[in-house]
Amino acid sequence: MNVVQKVINWSRLKSPWVLHFNTGACNACDIEIIAALTPRYDLERFGVLLKATPRHADILLCSGPVTRQIEDRLVRIYEQMAEPKFVVAVGTCSCSGGVFNGCYNIKGGINAVIPVSAYIPGCPASPKAIMDGVVKLLQSLEQKEGK
Amino acid sequence: MFNAMFSMIIFPGFLFLAALSFLGEFIDRKIYARLQNRVGPPWFQPVADFIKLLGKQEIIPTEANQTMFKMAPLFATASVVTAFFYIPLWTPEAMYSFNGDILVVLYLLTIPTLSFFIGGWYSTSLYARIGTVRSLTQLFAYEVPLFMGILSSALLANTWSLTKITEFYVAHPWLWLMNLGGFIISLIALLGKLEKTPFDIPEAETEIVAGAFTEYSGKLLAFLRLTLNIEMIVGAALLSAVFLPFALTYNPYLDFVIFLIKLLSITFLISLARTVVARLRIDQMVNFCWKYLVPLAMMQLLLNLAVKGVMIK
Repeated sequence: MNVVQKVINWSRLKSPWVLHFNTGACNACDIEIIAALTPRYDLERFGVLLKATPRHADILLCSGPVTRQIEDRLVRIYEQMAEPKFVVAVGTCSCSGGVFNGCYNIKGGINAVIPVSAYIPGCPASPKAIMDGVVKLLQSLEQKEGK
Repeated sequence: MFNAMFSMIIFPGFLFLAALSFLGEFIDRKIYARLQNRVGPPWFQPVADFIKLLGKQEIIPTEANQTMFKMAPLFATASVVTAFFYIPLWTPEAMYSFNGDILVVLYLLTIPTLSFFIGGWYSTSLYARIGTVRSLTQLFAYEVPLFMGILSSALLANTWSLTKITEFYVAHPWLWLMNLGGFIISLIALLGKLEKTPFDIPEAETEIVAGAFTEYSGKLLAFLRLTLNIEMIVGAALLSAVFLPFALTYNPYLDFVIFLIKLLSITFLISLARTVVARLRIDQMVNFCWKYLVPLAMMQLLLNLAVKGVMIK
């Protein structure tokens, strides 16, 4: 691995910009995601910024099970993001479908539609769990790129 | 030839300016964070953001006009970097100067706004189009008080060359205090030019996603962000050259430190405004500029005319 690639990898780990997308959650995980971005937890310490457009974002924070209504939109948002991109499933529902799994209007977890890099369980996942999950995702990337 | 290339690319051209703008962005974000009782980003954050964006995939919408979409960020960056050459920094003389360069600098600083308009308009996203129309509406509101504020200082100095303005205020110490009103007016108008809160209406992220930048990604976005950062540094340098031309010791190192302090205090005022004020609506912004800023700038002009007639002769 040459120096340029190393510098680019370093910068990717230091500046993950997130996009928050509700795929059909009951709003509890969304409130916790917003709480994680407030000054109390200060995610900007790690370079995390909340972006409003998928073109700018690196990490897609999804909450909730994928409903049949939202499926096309989720895929479209995912395809609008620029490479390299990662998806984090926040909450039990988005990990597996949760209690809604098997409903007539539910596709399942996020991984039923798009590839997922990290799963954060919890109902709802607490802000600390979300931060832990994002940091673990970054650490795993660091190990992968180190090889 | 070699000297010209060196000054264009390295010092005080593109690389030096980029480093300074990263410092400016860091200070801005850090002060913003500290005023909100947060820790804030580490010092390398702007550099990491820039490199990351350079390394990302670049998506150009199929509906967009390819040429215009790609050229707009380059035009914007080139024009703000060019404007920097005509501003006296820590020496009383600018690198290049001629009579009338103050107008050239002001118009070069207008080009980024027009480039954002062209880039956003041709990206054919609805959010970008609303954002660009807002930024042009805003342009007609803040440009007049900005020009009047800065040119009132030039009027007192009786010259339209930035170098000669600095010379005049060095020769007449304490006369810069006359322009304090103009300084405040120009600083408020500069907030509109930089699209910072309270005038961040064109890229209001809670309403229209990211304004003109909505469809930009990768390298092009990196250069758009760099342009805004450089514009902040150039705007602050322009204000410090026109309104705060004091404490020149003719020792290059000391003057450089004083220049940095002036620049950072203007950055501090900009971050302070960003923290304590909420976003205005576009009609409130236009009303504010035309009803309050322009008459105040007019009074500053009259004051300077009076001072010129009475005190200097």
